[in-house]
Amino acid sequence: MSINRREFLKGLTLAGGSLLFFPACKGNISFWRVLTEEEASLLTAITEQIIPADEDPGATDAGVVNFIDKQLSGFYSGLKDSYRNGLEAFQDYCRKKTGANFEALAWDVQTGLLKDLEANRIDHPYWEENTASRFFSMIRNHTMQGFYGSPRHGGNKNYVSYKMMRIDYPHVIGRNIYTPRSETLNIYQP
Amino acid sequence: MRNRHVNAVVIGSGAGGGPAAKELANNGMTVVLFERGDWQAFDEHNDDELCSQRTTVLGNAYGPDQDKHWRVVVDSRGNERIVYPHEGGYNNNAACVGSGTLSYGAMAWRFMPEDFRMKSEYGHVEGSTLEDWPISYDDLEPFYTQAEWEIGVAGADPQNPFVPDRKKPLPMPPFEYNLEGRILFEAAKRKGWHPFPIPMLRNSIPYAGRPACYRMRTCVGFACPVNAKCGTQNTVIPVAMATGNCEVRTRCQVAEIMLDDKGRATGVKYFDRFNKPQIQTADVVVVAGSATETARLLLNSKSKLFPAGAGNNYDWVGRNLQGHAYTAAFGLFDDEVYDDVGPGACIAICDFNHHVDGIVGGGLLANEFIPMPYLYTGTRPPGAAGWGKEHKDFQRNQFKKTIAVMGPFQEIPNFESRVSVDPAVKDFWGIPVARLSGSRHPYDRKGCEMMSARAEEWLLEAGAHFTWQRIGGGPGLSGGQHQAGTCRMGNDKKTSVTNRFGQLHEIDNVFVADGSLVVTNGGFNPALTIMALGFYVGHHIADMWKGTRLKS
Amino acid sequence: MVNIKTFGPLAMLLSILALLILFTGGFYVWWNNASPEKTCVSCHEINHAFNSWNASAHREIGCKECHGTALGNGIHSLKEKSRMVLTHVSNNIHSDDIRLSEEQILQTMNRCRNCHQSEYTKWQSGGHSAHYSAIFLNEAQNSREQLNYDCLRCHGMFYEKTISDLVEPLSVAGPWRLKEPGKALQPAIPCMACHQIHSDGEPLPQPDYSEPKNIFYGRKMSEKSIAFYSRHEKTHFTLKNLPEPVILIHGDTVKTPKDPVYRLCVQCHAPSVWHEAGTADDRTPVGVHEGISCRACHEPHSNNQRNSCDKCHPAISNCNLDVKTMNTSYLSPSSPNNIHFVSCRNCHPDQKLR
Repeated sequence: MSINRREFLKGLTLAGGSLLFFPACKGNISFWRVLTEEEASLLTAITEQIIPADEDPGATDAGVVNFIDKQLSGFYSGLKDSYRNGLEAFQDYCRKKTGANFEALAWDVQTGLLKDLEANRIDHPYWEENTASRFFSMIRNHTMQGFYGSPRHGGNKNYVSYKMMRIDYPHVIGRNIYTPRSETLNIYQP
Repeated sequence: MRNRHVNAVVIGSGAGGGPAAKELANNGMTVVLFERGDWQAFDEHNDDELCSQRTTVLGNAYGPDQDKHWRVVVDSRGNERIVYPHEGGYNNNAACVGSGTLSYGAMAWRFMPEDFRMKSEYGHVEGSTLEDWPISYDDLEPFYTQAEWEIGVAGADPQNPFVPDRKKPLPMPPFEYNLEGRILFEAAKRKGWHPFPIPMLRNSIPYAGRPACYRMRTCVGFACPVNAKCGTQNTVIPVAMATGNCEVRTRCQVAEIMLDDKGRATGVKYFDRFNKPQIQTADVVVVAGSATETARLLLNSKSKLFPAGAGNNYDWVGRNLQGHAYTAAFGLFDDEVYDDVGPGACIAICDFNHHVDGIVGGGLLANEFIPMPYLYTGTRPPGAAGWGKEHKDFQRNQFKKTIAVMGPFQEIPNFESRVSVDPAVKDFWGIPVARLSGSRHPYDRKGCEMMSARAEEWLLEAGAHFTWQRIGGGPGLSGGQHQAGTCRMGNDKKTSVTNRFGQLHEIDNVFVADGSLVVTNGGFNPALTIMALGFYVGHHIADMWKGTRLKS
Repeated sequence: MVNIKTFGPLAMLLSILALLILFTGGFYVWWNNASPEKTCVSCHEINHAFNSWNASAHREIGCKECHGTALGNGIHSLKEKSRMVLTHVSNNIHSDDIRLSEEQILQTMNRCRNCHQSEYTKWQSGGHSAHYSAIFLNEAQNSREQLNYDCLRCHGMFYEKTISDLVEPLSVAGPWRLKEPGKALQPAIPCMACHQIHSDGEPLPQPDYSEPKNIFYGRKMSEKSIAFYSRHEKTHFTLKNLPEPVILIHGDTVKTPKDPVYRLCVQCHAPSVWHEAGTADDRTPVGVHEGISCRACHEPHSNNQRNSCDKCHPAISNCNLDVKTMNTSYLSPSSPNNIHFVSCRNCHPDQKLR
């Protein structure tokens, strides 16, 4: 194998240079890219309300929060603050109103709180101008995207939503090289 | 290095620019075809719903990208905001070779003769700029034929009694109906309507060396995995390139048409793929960048003689922005009506395109393309749950039992619905961005109510146990992918931008060859008409070139 | 005493460089030899890959035994690992976006062969080991159907560029040639088209050579590794996650094979969109063989179907039928009676037979 000198130097520089980053790894190991554990836990509970598990998997099993986290480090990176501040304010509101974290509340209580959020029936300084519903619909839309979109974006694990909707994937579809439909192979015609 | 002078530059490689470039190159003119996007392949985004041209929540698969392109949108209350290409309201058309024709649904409609004479047919509509075209259906007919044969259309026109006369049949047989199509066919017959297979710019049989469609569910919004969808990128543009006269210059953003002191164009300024400013001189400039970008380019091309932009001394450039007021009805059925045979849309009626009592114009009705799962999350009757168990149940139980019928109502154009250039906001290269403002004519709502009602009747007749309407045409910006009308053609330079050949009234060697020329947008998807206009304008440029070389 | 002044700036630079090379080299040697828990997995990017490997039948085979180019040879490996470290630091990419290149896939196959010699040899003898040149330069196919992106769904599925980078011209006219001649003799359907290496499973016990009775050559392989590689999703679909297609004949639903491997085969040997038996590439048995698994007749790696008749129609059977001499495609490929679709009524139209 011949090695191009420029290639070699490039490799060496990359390798050497990247070592300098090593100390940065210490203590930085989290499953999430952007979210904190607290945010992820709250978001998991909210998304599960939006698409609950029943005989088919729900948002949690489908990895919807992984989708949101992944997009917040990518295409949705501009929405980091909306998530961070919104989740914090919503948790704060829940604590003040019920004395407990959203995740710890009974299912129906959670549903009620989200309906309040959706309808701007929420009294918190963070959502002064009736913007709570916008925050809710952002999470609602992203949950739907994570559950019903392609797994390549981090959600819809094993295509659970396609299976639920009985859509075949991968798509079973053959070439059309052989014959038009009308001239199928020699199958007995009754 | 300086670019070699060419006979013509064509700006935009979509439905209008592709055919125009091919006509010029085939007639011996040297052409540079500018495209701000790049050649695209199916592979990169393949069947990814969230990053397609139909659902753009994670970006436009085929451009433009949000790092370089944005627009200003002014809503009905006067609020301005910057909008990016993947967001609603941007009025996006794909930025790639072929533009929208790479990933469109590919319906191949001819406008009807009435669509070319709307004012004569229906009279003046208060508050509108409703007008006749300076050309008739018969003038465009040979170019419709050319588009159908050179780009490729499959269909069965004789089944549609309202179809205008044609000189030559379509080159390919129609597509078979899917299950929805068969159900709707019987229902339409019972209603006494006239259903027929939608003509499509898709190969139903191997054609022009490319395969037949194998009927994927992911069609509209996606590139074709088997190259059976006919766009300009796999038909006329390769033909133009094969002449040796046409260079496709991709990833180039044209900034301005250069105008001299005599009021003639000398070429264009553009930014190349490395974002370096460049100049391309040419004898003729053909603008085909879509109704929004064509108007923006003309408005950004100012000179002493044209202080308000090229060809805009009477303030008509960018006016009459129109699209289609889409309107629909949905039906739920007891049994499954979904057989996974793509692209979904396959049956249409033209019973309500014209001559409906009390309605100006009208539009076709057709079944809808297969919605992918995320898109379907928005398909709900009014008042249905938007989330939670009920929403999930609907998704699970109704997806294969839903039929949507919709259609494009022919919008009534108005002067205030417009593209201008923003005085402050500039794009990545420092070019003033397009500013979209105005609103649909209030009449559109009435037409949409009529069409949605007919669509609902159709679904009920087909056996739907539950139906609802989604009526379009409400107040708000028009445009969308079917954007048209911003450089209207006409005989009077005071009330139009180009003459009947797409030539600017005031600048002899600048032509428009896209949907901007459209006076009224028909009740049909406009792609085939834009292609026909591209051939038509290209043909006439080549004709004039042979005589005078377009030098005054 | 060392005189600093004699130590010129050039020498200084050289010694720093030497130290750096020494350090880098040392680190590199350590990385290549330490256990994966200390090296590969110290970056959480590949946690997922590590965990799935650790639960797989291949857990006793170390990372670098298969990931030859990623851990073995020189520059390519250096570049690749450095890129991983950089993406780790920039925190943008998780393990789900790190994949083997096609080169690595093909290298890994050599490792497969070491243990699975029998399967490898059978694969080599059958149609699924076809090379790029045989698939993509096939005149009969190319002159009838334009090569397109969808070809890569079932052949060359690991190819990293697109069809227009592989073959020219993309027309039915030809003559065709591979743009990368080096690809000509590469297999277009490698092991990983149908197998997922990091799939759940138990390592097979090593045979105990001291006790010859324990050595069992015809060992049954686990089916858990069987999975379809989807080029669109760039991931494998296990049999459990593959859809069970509905196949129709004259409007009725065909009884498709219960064998889950059928779901893998039908991904590529697929009917047209109308899902009618026998259309396009479909070979789902209907007629007398309806419901029979592909594997009942075809050896899975070579696809060889010779002697398959004997399994169900032994010469000593009571029916006195010698199925091998009947007029079917088993006897002669030109027979109108395709063995997949033949029904009794093909030859006996008057009788009420299956």
